[in-house]
Amino acid sequence: MTTVIETRDLYRYFGSDETEIVALDHVSVDIQEGEFTAIIGPSGSGKTTLLHLIGGLDEPDGGSVKLSGTNIAEMNGNELSDFRRDHIGFIFQAYNLIPVLSAEENIEYIMLLQGISPAERKKRVQEMLALVGLEGLGERRPAHLSGGQQQRVAVARAMASKPDIILADEPTANLDSKTGISLLEVMRELNQTRNMTFIFSTHDEKIMERATRLIHLRDGKVEQDERK
Amino acid sequence: MTGGYMLFVFSYSLLEGSYNNLIDIFTLDNTGHIQIHKDDYLDRPKIYKTIQNRAQVEGAMHAVDDVISFTPRVFSPALAYAGSKTAPSQVIGVDPELEPTVSRLKEKVSEGTYFDNAPDADGYFKAMIGKGVAINLDLEIGQEIVLISQGADGSIANDIFVVSAIIGNRTSFDRMAVYLPLTSAQEFLSLGADVHEYAMLVEDKHENEKVASVLQGEIPDLTVAPWQVVEATFYRTMQSDKQGNYFTMGLIVFIVFVGVLNTVLMSVLERTREFGVLRSIGSRPLVLIKMILLEILMLTIISVTIGVALVMPIVYWFTEVGLLLPEPIDMGGVTFQHMKGDFAAYIFFYPMVFMLATALLISIPPGIRAAHILPRDALGAH
Repeated sequence: MTTVIETRDLYRYFGSDETEIVALDHVSVDIQEGEFTAIIGPSGSGKTTLLHLIGGLDEPDGGSVKLSGTNIAEMNGNELSDFRRDHIGFIFQAYNLIPVLSAEENIEYIMLLQGISPAERKKRVQEMLALVGLEGLGERRPAHLSGGQQQRVAVARAMASKPDIILADEPTANLDSKTGISLLEVMRELNQTRNMTFIFSTHDEKIMERATRLIHLRDGKVEQDERK
Repeated sequence: MTGGYMLFVFSYSLLEGSYNNLIDIFTLDNTGHIQIHKDDYLDRPKIYKTIQNRAQVEGAMHAVDDVISFTPRVFSPALAYAGSKTAPSQVIGVDPELEPTVSRLKEKVSEGTYFDNAPDADGYFKAMIGKGVAINLDLEIGQEIVLISQGADGSIANDIFVVSAIIGNRTSFDRMAVYLPLTSAQEFLSLGADVHEYAMLVEDKHENEKVASVLQGEIPDLTVAPWQVVEATFYRTMQSDKQGNYFTMGLIVFIVFVGVLNTVLMSVLERTREFGVLRSIGSRPLVLIKMILLEILMLTIISVTIGVALVMPIVYWFTEVGLLLPEPIDMGGVTFQHMKGDFAAYIFFYPMVFMLATALLISIPPGIRAAHILPRDALGAH
């Protein structure tokens, strides 16, 4: 198995002096290609911070992150943008769809950045919508979709660029149980059929049950790392 | 942004309209847009400083397309008396037919009838007198006025004329003038066919200095002067007044600027989270800057287009009809009752350019900020 993510001594703190809070305290983890990993732990344990650092959305105060062997600290702004665009898909707890774009356009945008032809983009958008069960709803804007539907669009957007890694921050937190399970099944299927690497930060037991690996964080440290 | 544009255009139209009206009032009351004189006649007017080669001068004016009308004039101080009363006056000889094509003299007739070249039944030529002369000499229409002056040949000039009209009112610049038909005045002053002045109107009053320059090239022996030179004091006063009003205009522009700034900041800064999402899914910083600039540009174009559609009828009405003044303004016997704007392409164009340039300039800093924001910080923004 290939190691796609490698963190070494990741350190991140917020605030200063007396108000300083250590969010991650020398965290070192390796994630293998095709793993369905859940990072779990109580609120404030550093789950979201770890995902942000892995995805290059934040900069560590110490340590390093290597994605497919490349240290992201050595990339400039454009290289990091291009890397995120081509290799990483993000799913956020709050969906974070662009409100003025339709579901189709939200999914299509990242392919536009990749320079994919219009015909290929249209084809892939329809494939993604079908994959997440939103056929016929592509022209709706986020405001006219339910929470579950918006999160499905977010999943479709994350996968549209055919990334190697999908980082999902509490993806089921705002969904009801049934919708959450349905969405998880979609992601699990993608993981198994396309060998995409999924990393979740979550409190959701449904995700934990389906995850192939659980990384327990507490107070910014890896407390336990178990493979099923 | 639309409101700001409309305010800018309306204020600009009003400002330019006011000065254009003022220039019209002034130039059409007396000076015309351009004048031609002999040498330094304007600085030291003498009766013998005349334009003699009239055919050449008139030919030159005819040859310039921008000149739409012209009229010859002669001037001389004179002593006017009627009965036992006397008054100093200024004799102004004008061509009865050409003068109305350049000035508002005919409109300024407050009593009587505008004169012509023909003598009356008793063989006396007609005169139109200023209100001041009429009051000082206690003259009415149809009565005789005697003028005494000096002829260009050094002789004593004196003659009797019949009052055919009273011109203007007590405040008119020509309240002490006695207008004579040109040929009568030339004969009275022993000028032959010579004149002291040509006044003319041009197609575009804002281009009068250029036209004057062209004419000067055609008739280098004479002095061709735009009204700004003829009435330099008035022009300087108007310009300084204009500078003061431009300051007021600057305040309005500042208000518009703040409006544009507010719109841009609302549009960019309140969507920080959205830009964070775009950054996180792989948009390069430059892509975001371009996107923000394009968006602001589109927003401004739409706002300005709506603004043009809304403000154009208002400015048009203001220019054609104008705002009724509580008290009419009397300018030398010509009454103006409406404050009017100016309806021209530049009135809409310059504010448009200002809006576009301002919006683009203002959007650059927040655009750069949005493009370089750390996605984690942006995603945390609400």
